Amino acid sequence: MSLFNTDKDFNVISNMIPARSSVIDVGCGDGSLLKYLDKNKNINGRGLEIDQDKIRECLAKGISVIQGDADIDLADYPDKSFDYSILTYTLQATKRPKKVLEELVRISNKAIVSFPNFGYWKIRMHLLINGTMPISNELSYSWYETPNLHFCTIFDFIDLCEKTNIKIENKVNLKRHLIQDYKQKSWVDNCFSESGMFLISKK
Amino acid sequence: MNENKIIELGSNKDPLVLDCGKSIGPIKTAYTTYGELNSSKSNAILICHALTGDQYVASEHPITKKDGWWSLLIGPGKSIDTDKYFIICPNVIGGCMGSSGPNEINPESGKEYGLDFPVITIADMVKAQKLLIDSLGIEKLFSVIGGSMGGMLVLEWLSKFPSYVFSAIPIATTTSHSAQNIALNELARQAIMADPEWKSGSYNDQNTKPIKGLSVARMAAHISYLSEQSLHEKFGRNLQDKNNIEFSFDADFQVESYLRHQGFKFVDRFDANSYLYITRAMDYFDLKSSNNGSLLEAFKNTNAHILCASFTSDWLYPTSENKVIIKAFNALGLNVSFVEIDTDNGHDSFLLNEPEFFETIKGFLDATYKKL
Repeated sequence: MSLFNTDKDFNVISNMIPARSSVIDVGCGDGSLLKYLDKNKNINGRGLEIDQDKIRECLAKGISVIQGDADIDLADYPDKSFDYSILTYTLQATKRPKKVLEELVRISNKAIVSFPNFGYWKIRMHLLINGTMPISNELSYSWYETPNLHFCTIFDFIDLCEKTNIKIENKVNLKRHLIQDYKQKSWVDNCFSESGMFLISKK
Repeated sequence: MNENKIIELGSNKDPLVLDCGKSIGPIKTAYTTYGELNSSKSNAILICHALTGDQYVASEHPITKKDGWWSLLIGPGKSIDTDKYFIICPNVIGGCMGSSGPNEINPESGKEYGLDFPVITIADMVKAQKLLIDSLGIEKLFSVIGGSMGGMLVLEWLSKFPSYVFSAIPIATTTSHSAQNIALNELARQAIMADPEWKSGSYNDQNTKPIKGLSVARMAAHISYLSEQSLHEKFGRNLQDKNNIEFSFDADFQVESYLRHQGFKFVDRFDANSYLYITRAMDYFDLKSSNNGSLLEAFKNTNAHILCASFTSDWLYPTSENKVIIKAFNALGLNVSFVEIDTDNGHDSFLLNEPEFFETIKGFLDATYKKL
């Protein structure tokens, strides 16, 4: 999703990844992030992408990419295949987000996951005042044609991690670009972050 | 530059030892080349043809007078650019276009081999190709590319001669034939052998030709190259040059007429015994069982850049078969890419005008060439 394709956000991710790591970008789009990480961190990158046009763009950039679906094809990777897996703004479009998250922390040592935060105050206000499904820059689809199936808030995400075998290592509130250690649920984060990014691993 | 060449490699003292235990020496390979080999010999691409393909990949076929079977893909300025790359395409051994095979002369008897030709395997074909590559002084192929049986040859190259392969594109292929694949090949072989003109394989000595058997074999195989959708769209239940069915066994339907035509034009350019030998080699191919039951074992020494491709409507070598290959490459952490091209054209798609497929290959090759 276009929201994320800024150098600033790429930079946040790049800072989380040590040089020469092996990385899989799940839903890698045209491969821009992998290319960025290759340039800045000399990573050994792989992509998973469902859209054929995007795959061709990846290949022309010299990026190795597998046509596949995050809901299905992560199962083909052995445990700990990568140092890092990345899932940016895709979680809400998966059929089984819990399963996808479990697969991510299985196939990689650490996973970086970002998603639009449905607890953001403007979204709350939209629903409260208009009484219709929120449409914003981040959530740009009408309810009847959205590819997004599973919205969550930052609180929801933290709750899910606590219920499963997922440990939160770090979180980033993207729109404020405030990086802080994860200690507890912050009402302020959940209300004022347009989106959240988490570094997670297997408990 | 792209005329057919025939080279004899090895000798009767230094023959090619085949998987069946017999040996052939010297061994003949007929091949074509396109473009120029650069001074560092780093721009060579080996093209592996499918069951009924041959070395005329990008130049006019001497019998059919048609363009090469991949001339949409390969040529000056095309997706596989002969201004940039040096293309080598050999006819496989067992074939019938000049390489050692059942319709060549057996030096021991002075007559055509016929069924005296040893049963060959995909690995034997690759060993013969390796002799050719060595004779050209090439130590590393920039890429090895092929579809269908050609894809099997590509996989065998990755397994047997990993240090020779910098990149590879196996297309619409498999690591072993399914029971259904073998069954279809057996149908074709039985059609040939049931033709009284086949004469236990010695038809050339007896001046006959199993035209009917070979064309039925081709008809059966041709159905497997198309999808239900493409047959329906091309022919439906349309009648051939008539308005009503005729209550006879003539070709009332267009699809019947089409298949008959495919069968009969095939016998002009292909040899019945070659068809037996090559389909047998495909049936015997099993990379897993020949590597202690493990595909990871088969590919453990390669670090090639690999692009796999399959086609949505291909039921002969379906996407699921191709994914078995991807899974093994993934488990080994290889630089592998995979694309499933969306098309109704069935298995034959890799030979047809599929712009997205061509564009995918071009992007992969040109980006990989920069990594040399």
